[in-house]
Amino acid sequence: MNEPVKPDDIDAVIHERVRLSIVAALAVSPELSFNELKSMLALTDGNLSAHSRTLEEAGYIVVEKTFRGRRPYTSMRLTAKGRKAFERYLGTLRQIVDRGDRAVGGSS
Amino acid sequence: MDHDEAQARMTEIQRIMERATLFTLLPGTPAIVGGLMVLAGCAVSYAMIRSLDFADIFRPDVPFGRQGAFCVMWFAIGVLGVLIEVIITTRAAAKQQLVPRDRPMRVAAFSLTPSVIVAMVLTIKFLIPTQPRAEEIQYIVPIWMMLYGTGVYTAGLFSIQPPRLLGLAFLALGVVALLWFPQYGVVSAALSFGLLHIVFGIYIVRKQRQTVV
Repeated sequence: MNEPVKPDDIDAVIHERVRLSIVAALAVSPELSFNELKSMLALTDGNLSAHSRTLEEAGYIVVEKTFRGRRPYTSMRLTAKGRKAFERYLGTLRQIVDRGDRAVGGSS
Repeated sequence: MDHDEAQARMTEIQRIMERATLFTLLPGTPAIVGGLMVLAGCAVSYAMIRSLDFADIFRPDVPFGRQGAFCVMWFAIGVLGVLIEVIITTRAAAKQQLVPRDRPMRVAAFSLTPSVIVAMVLTIKFLIPTQPRAEEIQYIVPIWMMLYGTGVYTAGLFSIQPPRLLGLAFLALGVVALLWFPQYGVVSAALSFGLLHIVFGIYIVRKQRQTVV
């Protein structure tokens, strides 16, 4: 319990700022559309696509592509694995804040 | 990652979660109920004055009692609309373990309040004279549309796009109503506070149902 936070404790997939924003938004909204996330987080199409793909490949989010009439509609939601990873990441942040720890070499 | 960065990240996460939470608190059902009340109010108003111009309620031939009933009805619609919104939103917030003093709800309330206060003050100013001028009465609906639109747009800056679009729609309709059709206040109110609210409410309710897992 008293061990300092190690770099390996920080989930690199979630640690990236844009991906962290996506996961944080999905953590309180069971599902959001591509456009809603883009607008909410002020991201470009390319940026959101690239980062959501990384999160999907990690199994943290599910991306569903359907059609609304003739228009394509993409929605995203957090998986159980993604929620656990987010909670773990929050726990790590709290640990650092509470103890004033430093994770040596943790990318930022 | 050091203490300061971790603290900054936690603050950023909190801000994003608040913004996303505002979406799930968007008042869909109150907007529909409020819109229906306004449509009913417009229908009753038309039945009372047989005119699409709200200013006609202050014609000398309209009995004082009817003028009073007209003002009370619209005041009641406004108060009821706000009450329904507060009750339903508070319940929705409670489900997410938020309380009204939490930041997301404060942000939404404070964004909308100043413009609504301005609209109320202008309304009182226009109604105070013993013989209100028709032009001033005609300004009341467009002014409410524009100021309410401004408030909704501002509140929408902290949420997703639909509230901002609703705010812009109110603003645009308000400008058109003020500059070109001030004498059709009943129609302007029905289209904006009635129909726009209903369309927005249905969209939000459908959206929120889709997101519930």
